[in-house]
Amino acid sequence: MAGRVIVITSGKGGVGKTTTSANIGTALAKNGHSVVLIDTDIGLRNLDLLLGLENRIVYTLVDVVEERCKLKQALVKDKKNPNLCLLAAAQTRDKSSVSAEQLKKITDKLKKDYDFVLVDCPAGIEQGFQTAIAGASEAIVVTTPEMSAVRDADRIIGLLEAAEGVESYKLLINRVRPSMIKSNDMMSVEDVENILSCQKIGVIPEDTGIITSTNRGEPIVNNEKSLAGKAYLNVARRINGEEVPFLDIDEPKDIVGKLKKFFSSLGKQGKE
Amino acid sequence: MEQFLNENMYTIDLGDVNTAPEIIFELSSILDKEEARNKRICLKLGSVDLNQAQLLSIKSLINGIDSTLSCVDTKSIDTEKVALSLGIIVSKISAENVSEVAPAMPYKMADELKEEVQQKEDETDSIVEETDIPQIQNNENIVDVDFRELAKQAEQIVAEIEEKVSEFSDENSIEQDATTDIVEEAPIQEEQIVEAENNEVEEANPTKVNDVQDELDVIFGSTPSAAAFYDMEQPTEIYEEREEIGELVVPEDEYTKEDIELEGFPTKYIKQTIRSGQVINYEGNIVIIGDCHPGCEITAFGDITVWGVLSGIAHAGASGNQKAKVRALKMNAIQLRIANCYSRRPDSLNTVYIEKTNSFTPEEARIVNGEIVVFKMND
Repeated sequence: MAGRVIVITSGKGGVGKTTTSANIGTALAKNGHSVVLIDTDIGLRNLDLLLGLENRIVYTLVDVVEERCKLKQALVKDKKNPNLCLLAAAQTRDKSSVSAEQLKKITDKLKKDYDFVLVDCPAGIEQGFQTAIAGASEAIVVTTPEMSAVRDADRIIGLLEAAEGVESYKLLINRVRPSMIKSNDMMSVEDVENILSCQKIGVIPEDTGIITSTNRGEPIVNNEKSLAGKAYLNVARRINGEEVPFLDIDEPKDIVGKLKKFFSSLGKQGKE
Repeated sequence: MEQFLNENMYTIDLGDVNTAPEIIFELSSILDKEEARNKRICLKLGSVDLNQAQLLSIKSLINGIDSTLSCVDTKSIDTEKVALSLGIIVSKISAENVSEVAPAMPYKMADELKEEVQQKEDETDSIVEETDIPQIQNNENIVDVDFRELAKQAEQIVAEIEEKVSEFSDENSIEQDATTDIVEEAPIQEEQIVEAENNEVEEANPTKVNDVQDELDVIFGSTPSAAAFYDMEQPTEIYEEREEIGELVVPEDEYTKEDIELEGFPTKYIKQTIRSGQVINYEGNIVIIGDCHPGCEITAFGDITVWGVLSGIAHAGASGNQKAKVRALKMNAIQLRIANCYSRRPDSLNTVYIEKTNSFTPEEARIVNGEIVVFKMND
């Protein structure tokens, strides 16, 4: 069976496309799937940094396209997970180095050998975006509960609908802060869903651990205690077709709140 | 760099075959395939014991289709011995095909090298008392294999060679020719491993080795001297002095063609910070006054000298000059490449931030026995 090519895109920069790619990729690989991550953000690559593979890159996507090496040689194996590979972007070139057709050829080749091909899309709607979505049949649109990010996501969804090849797209809402939603300072997850009229595949809470994990080059899904890590693991399971209830991200920090929650959950169980 | 890519490798996995005739039968069916031709074959064997004649027949079978048997992975100690005596490299082959880029070895700091040599000496001393042979660990880089194991192997080689020497005196041997062929055709990377092992041999058994030094040279090629690791003296000065007098006679081992080549290169002088994504290529030496940030690439035919922190990728001696060096006030390079060797930054050194400090110890990277080693220049 041929693998699935999923593009991770957002339109707006800084909402967490690369973090999402790294974590979903690692989570899928943890679940035993063979995964290859492609960084198409040529000139501003970051995915290698998040995975901690920066020092292992010898050949890049551009080298493959320009036939300086074979595709297999450019795949960098993850340090911990042998199921996970990275095809890094070149840092010293720009987006025009790879065309949509060329990337499609590469994804078509890769999906024969791998269960999942995740394409990390650059910000913007220009050539880089068009290239990234070329080979994909599915898309994950990352957004944050901010007006600007939601607007850009809306624009991207429009482009995805118009694009040939992309059959389905799902929404991933990142950096959600339950406390701010409660005090009406942030759009709720439901609001975002309604505005974009798009089905969600995951809700990731804001987590300071993401910053540490980025600096260390270790995806947060490897940290079992982290809530964001759990949320990403759930996203990976949903991608795989499992029905996973959405994580209760509203976890009170203080002990009183925790106890309250514990008792209320006991009460619920009793009613059932 | 091409030599490192193992492009022509072809791995045959016969791990589950248990008898020698079966192996030959399986092999002959596999070798009929077009894709096995003109390749360097890696043979993965199980625990089956092969004698010299059987391995030779396998080798001739492979030679018959214009391929060469370059390495063997086996669980049997007997087969390992035989393979080593025939000059075939014994190594662990990963289950995956080898056509991927060989993983870069982290570059070593001079201290580590010192420690390693020390450790090696300590362990070879205690080897006589130990009866248990520790298994070779399936490490990422082969050079890191257990020294005790290497020393043991080395002893085996020596024993085999001694046997052979006595054989040679009696009869003319065809095997010897075969072994030299393999070494010549083996890829550079593997030669380096052999060389590394060879040094181990010297360390482990200095007296015995000297007796059969010529034999070793036949099998492994000439052995580089492991001495003068820490000798930072530059031969340049000698050269200049003699020039004044009008003499240009320099002893060959001190001053080679490559040195003259390096000196003849023009030098580019850059006074700015090199930032991510910037590329500097120059067919000569490069001197940079400023930092080189991660994500930049500096490629020079000669030396690279950075008066600042080097954090990007540096490739010195890009035209193939093994004597080229990379110098920096602070060496933090993601990757270091010299001629056709390349190494990555050790993960332990993966520092995101470099402390801002006024006291730097300049560091220099160069090739020692086919590996890139970083030396502190504080003497």
